[in-house]
Amino acid sequence: MTDEAFGETPARRRVNFGVVSAQLGLVLIIAGFWTVFSIRAPGFLSSFNLFTVGRALAIDIVIGFAQMVVLATGGMNLSVGAIGVCAVMMGGYLMQTLGLPVPVAMAGALALGGALGWLNGFVITRTGVNSFIITLASANLFSGAMLIVTKAVPLNALPPEVGAFGKARIAGFVSPLLLIALGICAVLFVLYRYSALGRNILAAGANARAAAMSGVPVGRVVTISHGLSGVLAAIAGMMVVTRLGAAMPSVGGDDWLLPSFLGPVLGGTLLSGGAVAVVGTMLGALLVTTIRSGLLVLQIGNFWLQLYLGLILLLAVLVDRYRALYAERHGIAR
Amino acid sequence: MSLWLRRLLLVEWSGLAAAIVAGAGALAFIAPNFLTEFNLYVMLRSLSVPLLVAFAQMITLGVGQMNIAVGAIGGLVAIAFGGMMEVYGVPLGLAIPLALAIGALSGLINGLLIVRTGINAFIITLATGSAFTGINFGITGSIPFYKMPPALSGFGDQHWSAMPYLLVAPLIVAALLGLFFSRLAPGRQLLAFGGNPHAAELSGISRGRVVMTAHVLSGLLAAVAAVLAVAQLGSAQPTIGADWLLLSFAAPIIGGAALTGGYISVLGTMFAVFLIGLIQNGMVLAKVDPYWVQFVLGALILAAVGLNRWRAVNSGTA
Amino acid sequence: MNLVIESVSKSFPGVRALDGVSLDLKAGEIHALMGENGAGKSTLIKIVTGLYRPDSGRVLLDGQPVAFGSPRDALAAGVSAVHQERNLIPRFSVGENILLERLPTRNGLVDYGAVEREARRYLGLLDRGIDPRAEVRHLSVAQMQIVEIAKALSLEAKILLLDEPTASITEHETAALFKLLKQLRNDGVAIVFVSHKLEEVFAIADRVTVLRDGKNVATGAPMAEMTRQKLVSLMIGREERVAQMGERAVDRAQIVLEARGLSTSLGHREIDLALHRGEILGLYGLVGAGRSELARAMLGAGRISGGELRVRGEAARIRDMHEALARFRIGYVSEDRKQEGLILMHSIKDNVAITIWRRLANALGLINPRSETRAVAPFIRRLEIRAPSLGQPVGNLSGGNQQKVSIAKWLAANADILIIDEPTVGIDIKTKTYLHELIGEIAREGVSILLISSDMAEMITLADRILVMHGFRLVGEVANDHRYETTSQAIMGRIHAVEAAVG
Repeated sequence: MTDEAFGETPARRRVNFGVVSAQLGLVLIIAGFWTVFSIRAPGFLSSFNLFTVGRALAIDIVIGFAQMVVLATGGMNLSVGAIGVCAVMMGGYLMQTLGLPVPVAMAGALALGGALGWLNGFVITRTGVNSFIITLASANLFSGAMLIVTKAVPLNALPPEVGAFGKARIAGFVSPLLLIALGICAVLFVLYRYSALGRNILAAGANARAAAMSGVPVGRVVTISHGLSGVLAAIAGMMVVTRLGAAMPSVGGDDWLLPSFLGPVLGGTLLSGGAVAVVGTMLGALLVTTIRSGLLVLQIGNFWLQLYLGLILLLAVLVDRYRALYAERHGIAR
Repeated sequence: MSLWLRRLLLVEWSGLAAAIVAGAGALAFIAPNFLTEFNLYVMLRSLSVPLLVAFAQMITLGVGQMNIAVGAIGGLVAIAFGGMMEVYGVPLGLAIPLALAIGALSGLINGLLIVRTGINAFIITLATGSAFTGINFGITGSIPFYKMPPALSGFGDQHWSAMPYLLVAPLIVAALLGLFFSRLAPGRQLLAFGGNPHAAELSGISRGRVVMTAHVLSGLLAAVAAVLAVAQLGSAQPTIGADWLLLSFAAPIIGGAALTGGYISVLGTMFAVFLIGLIQNGMVLAKVDPYWVQFVLGALILAAVGLNRWRAVNSGTA
Repeated sequence: MNLVIESVSKSFPGVRALDGVSLDLKAGEIHALMGENGAGKSTLIKIVTGLYRPDSGRVLLDGQPVAFGSPRDALAAGVSAVHQERNLIPRFSVGENILLERLPTRNGLVDYGAVEREARRYLGLLDRGIDPRAEVRHLSVAQMQIVEIAKALSLEAKILLLDEPTASITEHETAALFKLLKQLRNDGVAIVFVSHKLEEVFAIADRVTVLRDGKNVATGAPMAEMTRQKLVSLMIGREERVAQMGERAVDRAQIVLEARGLSTSLGHREIDLALHRGEILGLYGLVGAGRSELARAMLGAGRISGGELRVRGEAARIRDMHEALARFRIGYVSEDRKQEGLILMHSIKDNVAITIWRRLANALGLINPRSETRAVAPFIRRLEIRAPSLGQPVGNLSGGNQQKVSIAKWLAANADILIIDEPTVGIDIKTKTYLHELIGEIAREGVSILLISSDMAEMITLADRILVMHGFRLVGEVANDHRYETTSQAIMGRIHAVEAAVG
């Protein structure tokens, strides 16, 4: 008895109509923009621009992932920026003030990020209070604590290899940060598609009650997701540190809030939980970065950027909504 | 715990009132110039804009939704208000209603999109907020309008003893909102919808009308806040509204609003804003590191939520 | 005013809820609408009140076709309904809920004095004990239902639709309600009364329409000509026949699940029960008897306040379902399959494999999709789940197939003790029979089953022994000779004895 009886071919993974068409749409739009931009401004495809865009993209991708892993559980993490900046300052402190080797300092920063994220998750599952409120509070608590401890003093004297890493180029136009982001993308993809933990998370996000009744340890997976979010926020923070060559307390905060949602939402991750689009989040971030960079290169005035982003987001969700209605009417799984 | 104390704690805003009394008492003791007319004036003046911002969000929370664009609408209205006066010479008396109309219109756009597309208010207002900010910065190029009519900035400075003129509008709005939500049928319908949308619709309450009303009012209040902000600053800055978002949620939530909708407290929200203002004022007077403000704000939110949960468990409704 | 429903059909993804259904309601009558769960009664009510649009057919009010676009339109036309689910605003007062769409005002402000007076008037007809100023969220389920009924009455509609209005209220309140309904009928109101309780229908209905699997099997039949047997056979399509299941060996020596003097924070007192290996132990009771609550308390020990639970002979405190399955191999098929038994937006495969993901994962925590399919396939086959592919979202399946999926996951998990709560509610006859056979089969394979059901025929078909619950207490144990008349009478006798004692 084979799998064919159930409409599955063993050699190929089941293709999910809804998600593929969403991502295809995004790819086409992005390709469209790249074409237009590179025609209008040849500098768009210069290795310098590609490098800069790639580096900014890497950071936005990871920030988007930090939010995505919490969206998967049906919640939100408003403290992404706050955790990011705490990690930044911790990393800087370990490197500069304590003089620890850079990899150790970065590991410490990631550990802090994970711990803060875990704390969010712990409070959320213990109290049962909405993640919106808890992370709203913790965002203020974490930023506040960071400001109190660091007195908002930036750390500029980091070991030179940090800034060098941020400026490094592979093949002339690829930033190592982008490769890291892609690596994280691969890991998350495997997590949600092929691991027991990932499936448990999505079940808990789709219907926490049903998942709990089926034996899924909902509290545990939600806490893990928040911890993961914290680690990812910290990674994004470290990336910014390498780009700036310094640890600044002005990083993160509210600046990360919008980008953290744009990537996932544009990419097809559901706000209500239970479904993630890992590649979609990456594409969403790519779209945003593309537009931002394009406007800059075309000298259209950075100021109108927000307007375009808002309109694109609106368009994207409208299209997605009609696609979902279509899929529902024709009985196709998302 | 004694019955008397227990009953008191169960009243919705008692915790806040107690905190305010305790805080003010402590401050009067620690900092001699707390109770001076000037300091009280400064503190009360600083509450004007936050009160309206909090109310703007409180209304959308009441129907069970969120308005992420509250700060963006504020910024847009502020520069439109300043711009029309400075660039087009529109007189103040006409500029104010026009500015309010812009706010209401922005809210209308939000409401329409939400009702027509059926998409989550969070996403819609996230998108429109971005768009409004974009229009704001696109028009101004980040450059403020500095030449505001003296009548306006004068109004922003005037006071009667410790009572700033600026605070009068928010207080009137508070009274009107209180009346609206507790004694007027449309207000009750809004809260009914927030409390149980399905039940409300079954009773013939129109979802479309409720959602639109809430968002238009929210936009309108954001506009009032923007006008007051311009008066307070003496110039129309494009950055007005940039830091409104978190506060707009914090105050109503600390004040006891239910995130899922159906329950808000005008008085609680006011006390929350007052408490936050008190803390900020106190920090300055006591020369405490201003960075503690954010930390304390976060702690306040947790404390308020914790108290609400305790209340729910103990009144048998958890 | 009279109402005619003419050949109405309505389908949802995966299920045809109504197929050419008709009903004619005259002014001044109480018309019962009956049928098993899932027969389409609620859907019909929702179409009349404007919540759903029919796919075909029409509704006529006083001879004029109407198509209510929303409940508001229906209300305006004089049609009011009390639905099965509660539809109240939790933080509003009882009075405000009753008068929600027409709050009395004075000088533009809501007149709360008038609200209270009006509310008291209607509440008084049913239960004087409810304070109109109390917040609805503080009321009990029964009180909430009374408020809903008061609300419908206060609308003084010409056409009143009541969907299971007595589900949660006491006999005393039911009597008051019936008196009221008869009065309204005499005043010319047309009333539709949905119920599956035969005694009630015989008590007040003038005529009856019976639905089965979305179709009419009786339309407007006068109650005077109806007998209990006829009505039942119309509803279930056969005589109240008990299927004969083969013999099964129950190992009386092995007690796999036992409660000794168990009391819970929900109100259970001194519950003793013992489930043997391979046994199907029935737990019968009417709605509200406390059976599901007992099961949940056993599976989430936080709510046990006294006594002891033993699993396979050893004392146990079960923290949650995760522990129940992982440590004790106990499964629970929930009665609310849409909210608790299944994740509607996920696929069949995901819903069945949910209990075995951990087992399927390798050392790195990864799952090979092919081995997942291989693990799940046998159970799909065995339960004859019909779907074009495993990737179908479960929400699109019919009720019967959905229930099969929710059972399949426990079989896949190799659960050894299974608590099954109302397995065939809202399921078509064919699947129902199939599931009964399946339950018998898995018991034969050694799985021990605690079967919770309020379906008498089902209980008598399947159970080896039947415990009777009423008011959160065990009121008796009945041996099952698999004969409907004797066993059902024994069971009902126990319940009536308790009711009589309470007085």
